Amino acid sequence: MSRHIVLDLVERIGTLAAGDQVEVPISAGDADVVARWCERAGHQLVSIEGDRAVVRRGPLPGEATVRAAVPADRWPGTRLWIYTNFDCNLACDYCCARSSPQAPRRELGSDRIRRLVAEGARHGVTEVFLTGGEPFLLLDLDEIVRRCVEWVPTTVLTNGMLFKGRRLRMLRNMPRAGFALQISLDSASAALHDLHRGDGSWRRALAGIRTALEEGFRVRVAATVAGGEAGAEEVAAFHELLDGLGIDRSDQLIRPIAQRGFADDGVMLTVESLIPEVTVTADGVYWHPVAANHDDQLVTRELFPLDQAIDEVRRRFVQYRREADTAARRFTCA
Amino acid sequence: MTKPLLVGAVAYTPNVVPIWEGIRDYFADGPVEMDFVLFSNYGRQVDALLDGTVDVAWNTNLAWVRTVLRTQGRCQALAMRDVDLTFQTVFAARAGSGFTDLGDLRGRTVALGSRDSAQAAILPVKYLRAAGLRDGDVTLVRVDSDLGKHGDTGRSELDAIRLVLDEQADAVALGVNTWEVIGRDELMPDALSEFWRSPEYCHCNFTALDTLPDAIRQPWVEHLLAMSWDDPEQRRIMELEGLRRRWVLPELTGYESLFAAVEEQQIPAYW
Ligand code: SF4
Repeated sequence: MSRHIVLDLVERIGTLAAGDQVEVPISAGDADVVARWCERAGHQLVSIEGDRAVVRRGPLPGEATVRAAVPADRWPGTRLWIYTNFDCNLACDYCCARSSPQAPRRELGSDRIRRLVAEGARHGVTEVFLTGGEPFLLLDLDEIVRRCVEWVPTTVLTNGMLFKGRRLRMLRNMPRAGFALQISLDSASAALHDLHRGDGSWRRALAGIRTALEEGFRVRVAATVAGGEAGAEEVAAFHELLDGLGIDRSDQLIRPIAQRGFADDGVMLTVESLIPEVTVTADGVYWHPVAANHDDQLVTRELFPLDQAIDEVRRRFVQYRREADTAARRFTCA
Repeated sequence: MTKPLLVGAVAYTPNVVPIWEGIRDYFADGPVEMDFVLFSNYGRQVDALLDGTVDVAWNTNLAWVRTVLRTQGRCQALAMRDVDLTFQTVFAARAGSGFTDLGDLRGRTVALGSRDSAQAAILPVKYLRAAGLRDGDVTLVRVDSDLGKHGDTGRSELDAIRLVLDEQADAVALGVNTWEVIGRDELMPDALSEFWRSPEYCHCNFTALDTLPDAIRQPWVEHLLAMSWDDPEQRRIMELEGLRRRWVLPELTGYESLFAAVEEQQIPAYW
């Protein structure tokens, strides 16, 4: 053990800005003292290997600081996304869930969903989104929705094309209060929507929106657009169409395609760049709904207890934010 | 719009930039706007306070004493950190030295920090004399490795500790802040141990000339004291600046020992 190790640490760290890191040469037997000193002085021991320790200077932002920088309704674990199933009546080319009529169902089931929502609500979840695949393929979706709404406001994401016969009756069975339908419509006219989603799909989605509105549901309309497709004219026409249907501007959403699933180009999303939104599928808990098929964004295979997964997501998020702050400072020069 | 209050601070670590930007931003929402200027040493900073370049100086205790002496007392201390009220000097030696008091240092070698460091040089000499040791009874080794910064960097204290570890000195005098940073004698109990600790005294303060109008001083001090440990952004700045929990009003009696030491040792009021 080196007698000077603590002095060397203090001296090297003393020249750093908070958040920056430095490599400190160490001798055999120093590892324990280095770790204890970092802990005590509020610095982070990034790694210790052979004759080198890497230390990040504190004080590092705590959870409260990271939290203050994130809007309250975006704090991880506030929204809970649930993939009810993965199969779909459509096969959109940009589908981030790789859904299609051939995709295996991978159904979560009403009981597990109820348990997830109950546990989540007790651990800070204030809003639930049910998505897929196409949730309306499930013939007990009305029961699932009712169980969710008992706990927190709930939204079902749907392509809005299945409101007929038995499924229309199921729709009518759903609560109006604390519940919304989010229906996808990518453009003000058929061409662009049908290009990604298949012929005739625009007309049927629009009919679905009308049906849901007539049935007294709150309807949000979400357009998924590739960069360049959403010119000012297109956006204006989109709003005009939805204004005409009586949909509130705050319920008219336009978002870019994410580079996940079947999409070859789009906005690149990584664990570090996303504010996580805890997402549960039949296969595990994921970081964000756009990546619920990607192992790099898997948090855990254990769905229960959900509060542990939520805590893990929050812990990792705070960690990434700390590191991102450091990286941002490191790369700001001309 | 009135001119913002200009505060001077010495750049002794890269963190002074986020610290003072944070404090400036905090004051942007307050009753008195402020901005800051960084100096490379306390000599320049006190000159700038005296010639009116800055309105307020974030001073060490020695810079405060020198400001008082140079202005014949026509200056005021506005506020300080909670830790500045209870600063101390620690004497440490190699573990097993057997020292129990400063008197045990007769005939020994003591390593001191930069000679303009109140905690690691000026006050230690006063404590040694108070323990009955005259010049010549103890060999002093001075390590002037952060001269001009009044020991703020801790660098000279670390170098002085190395002299003890390397057996070139028998004991070292250092500020309690550096002693805490190295983990007191707990992290490496076999290496160093504390054998004497001074009474508490005051360290830094915000210094202004007595010409700073009350109408500016009062709201500025009130807003500073209102900074909250419970607010994450404000707490980040307070942690970086080394506060324990809060800004406080100064207690001038805590500077008496340093005034006495400066007089006894005839430390000049000018650089
Ligand atoms: S984007 Fe939606 S509608 Fe299209 S395939 Fe995927 S789940 Fe189905």
